[in-house]
Amino acid sequence: MRRAFAIVLLPFIALVAIRAASGEWAGDLSPIAARDWTYDRAAHLIERAGFGAAPDEVARLAALTPQRAVDELVDYESIADDLKPFDESVIWDPGMDPFPPSRAEAVRLAREHGGGLGEKILPEGAQRRLQPVVDKFFYGLYANAIETQRLGLWWANRMLATRRPLEEKLTLFWHGHFATGENKVRDYRMMLRQNEMFRAQASGAFRDLLVGILKDPAMLVYLDNGENIKKHPNENFGRELLELFTMGVGNYTERDVREAARAFTGWTNNVLEFKFDADQHDAAPKTFLGQTAPFDGEDIVDRILAQPVTAEFMAAKIYRFFVRDEMDGAVRTELGRTYRDSGYRMKPLLKRIFLSKDFYSAQAVATQIKSPVHLVVSTYKKMSLREVPTIPDFGRMTASLGQSLFDPPNVAGWAGGRTWITPSTLLNRGNMFRAVLFPDVKGFRPPDRTMSATDVRVGQRFAQGMSMTEATLEDVDAATMAESNMMVDRDEDYNTRYGGFKGNLLAFERTRLIPRRTAQIDLAAMIAAGGADTVDKVVDQFVRRFLSVTLAERDRSLLVDFLRTKLGSTSIIPGEHLEDALRELLYLVLSAPEYQVG
Amino acid sequence: MARKQTVRGCACSRRDFLARGLYGIGIGAGLPLVLSRTSAALTAQALRGTSAEKHPERILVVIELSGGNDGLNTVVPYSDAAYYRARPKLGIAERDVIKTSDGFGFHPSMVGFEHLYKDGMLAVVHGCGYDHPSLSHFSSMGFWHTGVPNGGETRGWIGRLADERYDASTRNVIVDLGTSQSLAVRGSRHSPLVFDDPARFHRDGTDAEKQVLAGLSRPAPTSNPVLQFLKSTAENATESSDVVRRATADYHTSVDYGQGGGLGGNLRRVAALIASGMPTRLYYVTYQGNSFDTHVQQADLHSRLLMYTADAVRGFIEDLKRIGRADQVAVMMFTEFGRRVEENGSLGTDHGTATPMFVIGTGVKGGLYGRHPSLTDLDDGNMKMTTDFRRVYATVIKEWLGCDAADDILKGRFDPLGMFA
Repeated sequence: MRRAFAIVLLPFIALVAIRAASGEWAGDLSPIAARDWTYDRAAHLIERAGFGAAPDEVARLAALTPQRAVDELVDYESIADDLKPFDESVIWDPGMDPFPPSRAEAVRLAREHGGGLGEKILPEGAQRRLQPVVDKFFYGLYANAIETQRLGLWWANRMLATRRPLEEKLTLFWHGHFATGENKVRDYRMMLRQNEMFRAQASGAFRDLLVGILKDPAMLVYLDNGENIKKHPNENFGRELLELFTMGVGNYTERDVREAARAFTGWTNNVLEFKFDADQHDAAPKTFLGQTAPFDGEDIVDRILAQPVTAEFMAAKIYRFFVRDEMDGAVRTELGRTYRDSGYRMKPLLKRIFLSKDFYSAQAVATQIKSPVHLVVSTYKKMSLREVPTIPDFGRMTASLGQSLFDPPNVAGWAGGRTWITPSTLLNRGNMFRAVLFPDVKGFRPPDRTMSATDVRVGQRFAQGMSMTEATLEDVDAATMAESNMMVDRDEDYNTRYGGFKGNLLAFERTRLIPRRTAQIDLAAMIAAGGADTVDKVVDQFVRRFLSVTLAERDRSLLVDFLRTKLGSTSIIPGEHLEDALRELLYLVLSAPEYQVG
Repeated sequence: MARKQTVRGCACSRRDFLARGLYGIGIGAGLPLVLSRTSAALTAQALRGTSAEKHPERILVVIELSGGNDGLNTVVPYSDAAYYRARPKLGIAERDVIKTSDGFGFHPSMVGFEHLYKDGMLAVVHGCGYDHPSLSHFSSMGFWHTGVPNGGETRGWIGRLADERYDASTRNVIVDLGTSQSLAVRGSRHSPLVFDDPARFHRDGTDAEKQVLAGLSRPAPTSNPVLQFLKSTAENATESSDVVRRATADYHTSVDYGQGGGLGGNLRRVAALIASGMPTRLYYVTYQGNSFDTHVQQADLHSRLLMYTADAVRGFIEDLKRIGRADQVAVMMFTEFGRRVEENGSLGTDHGTATPMFVIGTGVKGGLYGRHPSLTDLDDGNMKMTTDFRRVYATVIKEWLGCDAADDILKGRFDPLGMFA
């Protein structure tokens, strides 16, 4: 009797004990024991330290000790990087550097020098003499924008295929932290170099990364530091360095901002290289964070790193990215200390976090809303795809959810968390996977070859023999015509709207085409391999493979009923019909609110 | 605080209090749908004529110019020699300024505003700001969003306005056009409807799939707060998306909203939603991407930004006139700060403080309000604000929307400016 009692109740008690323990684990930075290591915890680790994984990879990690699994992820340099470098189109002609900051400036320079951007203006007496330069200016904008789309796709493929998932996850973290956007930089080459720098320094010392970004051409352009000169310091760079990159608002004064700006005067770029312009550098003493000396930029970095608040600010940001939004004060202090004591090295901090009980607590597991990039890449991983499908388009998918690689919304990066979710993005998070599972090949319009409606109209009218003025007129009430539309053709030396159209055409000619392919998915084979031969088992397999939480029984039975109705049977019978039914089911799973958390 | 006392400690809006007083139970609190609607209608009837219910049809459209618009080159103080001393390269020459009155005028690219001003429906409020200004985009924008500078408030002023002013059972009182929700519209009783492209605001799939997904979106008890949030958002999305899409699908207009930035496109969507008779009373539209952060070479860029903005707002008003709804709408436009008086060495301007706000609509008494800050009596190179921005908020809350709970919403007393007839 006693014995039976024990047999019945022991597993139950053990389960309750585990649940209670993982609830109490929040805030506990001591390492998780090997005996507590499970498949689900391994899945949580790879979800956060990487982009999730298919069950075979999760099982492999689960078979290691937590220590081994974490070491393998964090000390990734020992794993060969066999991924292909970015295959650049040749779009920059001699004469295009340095690229003028605006169309108006391009026009001014062209008038002054008789040409620009590698193009000559037309001879005196010709119509629209400046048109070649204006066309080339718009070409530069569009070609770089398209090349940046290609770059985003290349990176997404790295995230999917890499055997060093944490390296790419960290690169994404740094991209959000040191946010820089191509829409202002207008030069994919700078974005590529910055991305390579983030990757090379991803898990190294913060000082190297900080000095790297402060000398990075893309960042120097993005924050206008080329204009930060001795006589007129520009505060943008100094302010964002303190507020967003290192210390956080409230830990320095306005004077510190200005003094830091002075220390970075003369830090500029010669197109793709950092340049220190000694003539523009203010070498006089500055008073920064309470000390006075003739600080230069690197001294400022060292002063910042000497502040305990910097280590805490950064550790907290890293914690929020990898663990959860809410952070208890003691954890913040402790992780700040870990980071600072190690000389701001990333690896000891990450190992501490990934091994902590806190990381596996109920408050941390499946409570993070996946970023759009993570959502798409991790879904492809869980589908065991080897390449990112391009119908639908990856960049367009994530952009519609509020995230474009190489184009963060502003220098603060993506706010993340609940801000990813609106009623509209929540629906789109599901819809886009329906477009992956049932691709619309016929209706697909590639964004790297799509013109705006206005440009299309200009092209059509021009082809019909209209004059440039006629072709570029807006179809609106003359009485309410907007000033901006009047401006299009106001200067007789060039037509802006035609320049936009022509620039687009040239960019299409000269950028490499993104190959378009749909996802190679075989769900019937996937369930067969998993031994799922009934609708219940299929639903359970999908839930386990894709979701980080279990479904309520009510919701699970909706899915089971759906599949049974679809197949007309509770058992799985191979056939043509099966694959479509499974895809519909998967669409439902991927559209569930539960799928948004990881 | 006074408000809460009059409702005897009830942590809810006056409207809900009245509803409870009349029927003894909160609307929507588990009532069957039909009964709940009847009750709402009866309540609305009972409330008609009370001060709380003045102008229930009126709409406020708030436009955010992100990045810190250079107010001095927007509303140019061309009669002040100090302006040209501080702006030797960037100053707008007097001959180019679109003159309004009292020595001020618009940037020459703002032809759209010239029309609105001449028609007497555009008000400029000089020198708006707050005490102890922050020069950080993110902090300062947060203060304008919450309406509580340096206060740590977690809800937005528009969210609080909706909570006070509109019955919690009315859906879609707030629409925020964008890919993410602004802090300004965050409230505790109304879920703002946030979307960027109405054409994409729908659930794909077969009827059977949609039915399952509606089921999966039903709220269920869970200890995971994020999941709870997702479920309730999903439910809201399911219910609202059809309404929005139907509302905007067939909207066509010949009015020109101009180019650039997306502001015109978004205002056209607002016009479409208004035309469709949506119950929305508060719209939030952003000129996104920190666009107005003009640190370098700002002349051409700023000129273009202002042109697009003025074109879009004017197009919007023209379109509202066309559909006969202009009298129902007021527009308020703001930015998180102005820029330093003195131009910088890069032909641009750095972060500053006081900046003009704009209120536009056929009900507005057009003209210049407030006092322009001195360009010589500066605080560390920055203008001293002359009008607390919350007075403008109070103006649209009280005078336009007819809500007398402005003190509660704004957590302080701010006198309206007497801007609406």
